[in-house]
Amino acid sequence: MKNYMKLVNFEFNRIAKLFAVLLGVTFVIQIVGVIVQSRYYLNMANEIMYEGMLSKSQFLENYDKISFSQIMNSMWFLGSIWFCVAAVVFYIFIIWYRDWIGKNTFIYRLLMLPTTRLNILFAKITTILIMTLGVVAIQLIMLPIETLLMKAIVPKEFIRDISVNEIVTIMPEFSFIIPNSPIELVLIYGAGVLAVSILFTAILMERSFKWKGILGGLIYSAVAVGLMISPLLINEFFLNGFFYKIEMFVLEIIMGFLVLAGSIWTCRFLLMKKITV
Amino acid sequence: MKKYWKFTAIIIVIVLSIGTFYVNASTSAEQSPTFHINALSGDEKEITPLIMKGYYIDISSMNIGNSNLAISAKGTTYQSNSFLDQFVGNPPTVIKRLQEKNRTFMRGKNYSEDLFFENKQLLAYADVESSPVKSRNYKFDISVLTKEDDTINSFKLDVPEGKEMDYLLVEDVQINEDKLYLITHNFISNSGKQYEEKHIYTIDLSTKKMIDHEAIIQFSRRQKHTTIDVQLVRTSLTKTSEHLILLKTENKVSENMESTSDEVVIQEISSYNIQTKEKETINIPGLHLGGNRLSFFDDSTIYFMMLDGQNLLVTPYLLGDDTVGQPYNIQLSGEKGTVSEPITIVKDGKLYIASSQMNADINADVIVADAYTGKTLFKGQVAVDGSSKDNENFDLSLFDLFVK
Repeated sequence: MKNYMKLVNFEFNRIAKLFAVLLGVTFVIQIVGVIVQSRYYLNMANEIMYEGMLSKSQFLENYDKISFSQIMNSMWFLGSIWFCVAAVVFYIFIIWYRDWIGKNTFIYRLLMLPTTRLNILFAKITTILIMTLGVVAIQLIMLPIETLLMKAIVPKEFIRDISVNEIVTIMPEFSFIIPNSPIELVLIYGAGVLAVSILFTAILMERSFKWKGILGGLIYSAVAVGLMISPLLINEFFLNGFFYKIEMFVLEIIMGFLVLAGSIWTCRFLLMKKITV
Repeated sequence: MKKYWKFTAIIIVIVLSIGTFYVNASTSAEQSPTFHINALSGDEKEITPLIMKGYYIDISSMNIGNSNLAISAKGTTYQSNSFLDQFVGNPPTVIKRLQEKNRTFMRGKNYSEDLFFENKQLLAYADVESSPVKSRNYKFDISVLTKEDDTINSFKLDVPEGKEMDYLLVEDVQINEDKLYLITHNFISNSGKQYEEKHIYTIDLSTKKMIDHEAIIQFSRRQKHTTIDVQLVRTSLTKTSEHLILLKTENKVSENMESTSDEVVIQEISSYNIQTKEKETINIPGLHLGGNRLSFFDDSTIYFMMLDGQNLLVTPYLLGDDTVGQPYNIQLSGEKGTVSEPITIVKDGKLYIASSQMNADINADVIVADAYTGKTLFKGQVAVDGSSKDNENFDLSLFDLFVK
C-alpha cells in the first residue's frame, strides 16, 4: 500500500506542473469567453434599443435576458472543455510512452523497483482518474467566479440568475461529466476506469510484442467491448427480453467487473513476463 | 508528508468541490409544486380509486428535467427520475401493476395494454412476432397464465396468409371459455392490391390450434378524394365483451395550394358479435361525433362522447336491446368558453372525466358521473398546494386516467 501511494504521488508530481498549466489556460480561455460574450450581448442590446427606440423595460419584455448558460454555450466554453478532455485522453497514452522515450529509459528503473509491478499500473490508472476528477472539480470552482464576472459586466436587470447546479443540469456536456446523483458519478467514472484499463492493456501489448501487439491490442479491445454489450444483445435477440431492465443493469455491472479483472490480469501477465525495454 | 503536498491538495480540492456540488444539489433542489383534487360537490369517496397521470412544466424556469406526476385523492407523487429509477423503467400503470403481480409471466412482454386480457382466472397475452431474417414471416406469440395454479401455457402459431401482409398488429385480446380471440389490424398488399382489414382469429387454447379466422371489415385507406379509417373502440382490459365496436370514418379531403383540410362525411358504427360472427350497423339518429377518440365501450353499453362548446355530450347506447339511452350533458369549465378535449374512462358504470390541461388561466375539472344517467357523483378541481405566489407560469397536462 505504501509503495502504491509513493508511486501515485510520484506519477502525479511528474504531470502536476503541466496539469496546472492546462487548468490555467482553460481558466483564462473561459474568462475571456465571459468577457467577450457579455460585451457582445450588451452591444446587441444597445443596438436594438437604439434602433428600435426602446426603453430598457420594453427591451426586456421583448427580448431574452442573458443567463450564464448562454455564455457556456459558446465556443469559448465548449472548446476549452473539449480541450481538457483531449489532453487527458492524450495523456492516457503518454503516461506509458514517456517512460520508454529519452536517453535513459525510465521504465527500466520502474520495473526494477522492489514492489509488485502491478502497482505501476494501478498508480497510472489512479493518476488518470485524479486528473479527470481534478478538471471537473476545478471547473466547478471556476463557474461561480465566472458568474460573478458576468454580473460585474452586465447590469443586474439584464441577467437571468441561475445557480451552478442548474447550469450543470442544462448543459448535456456537463451533466455527463458531473451527473445529477453520486451513484451516477460512481458508475460513469467506474466505466471510465474500465475503459482506461482496456486501453492500458492494449498499450502494454504493443510494448511487449511491437507490431503484432498493436493487432493484439485492437483484438483485445474489441473482445472487451463485445463482452460488455453481450448481455444486451443476448437478451434482445435470443431471450426475447427475458430479463427486466434492473436485472440487465446488475448483469452489466457484473460483466464490467469481470472485464476489469480480465484486463488487470492480462496487464499483470504482460508486465511480469513479456514486457521488453 | 511534505513531499505529498501536491497530491494531497488536489485530493482535497476534488472532495470539497464535488462534495459541495452534491450537497447543494440535494438541499437546493427546487421542489415542484404538488397538486390535490379540491372537492366542490359530491362524495369524495368516488375519487379514491382514480389516478391521473400528467406532466408538469414550469415555463419560467429553464429546468428541463423530467416532471411526470400522478395525482390522486391522496395527493401528488412525482415520478422519481433518479438514475436507478430509469433503469427500473416506467411502464404504464396497468402494465406496472401486472408486473408486480406476475413477475415471471410478464418477462419479455411488450408494454401495450391492448395485448393483454385479464379476468379472475386468467391473464393472457398475445403479440405478433416477425422473423428478423425472412420477410413476411409472422407468428402469433401467445401465453396464458392460469392464476389458480400459476401455470403458464405459451405457444406460437403461424399467421395464416401472413405472406400477403406488410404488417399486422394486435388490437385486442379476448377469452371466452376455452377460446382465445385475437383482433388484429392487417395491412395487406397482394399482387398490386393494397388494403387494410380488421381481422379476428379464433384459437382453441386446449389444443393450441387455430380454429378459424375471418376478416371483420376490409377497406382501402386512400381513395381519390376521401380517406377511410376504421377504429376499434377501446375497452378496459379486464372486460370480456361479446361485441366488438367498430367506428368507420370517411373523410373528404380537399386540397388547395397551401393546405389540405378534411371533413368528416360519413360515420358508421357497427358491432360485431364475437360468438355468432354477426355484424350489424348501429344507427343513432342525430349523432355526429367530431373527435371520436372519446368514445368508450364498457360491458354492453357504448358511450359516445362529443364536445359541444363547454359541454361534454354523452350518448349511451345499449347493445343488448339496441336502444339509445337518454343523452346527457356534463358541463366543463374552461378558458373563455373553449375547452380542450378532456380525458375519459368508464369503469364499473361510472364515467370519469378530467380536463387535459391546467395553468394559471385554465382550471382542470375532475368529474365522476353515473355513466348511464349522467348524474354527477363528484365534482372537483385540481388545485395547487400551498401558496400560489410563484405559480404563475406553469402548465400541467393530464394525459391518462387509471381506475384501480
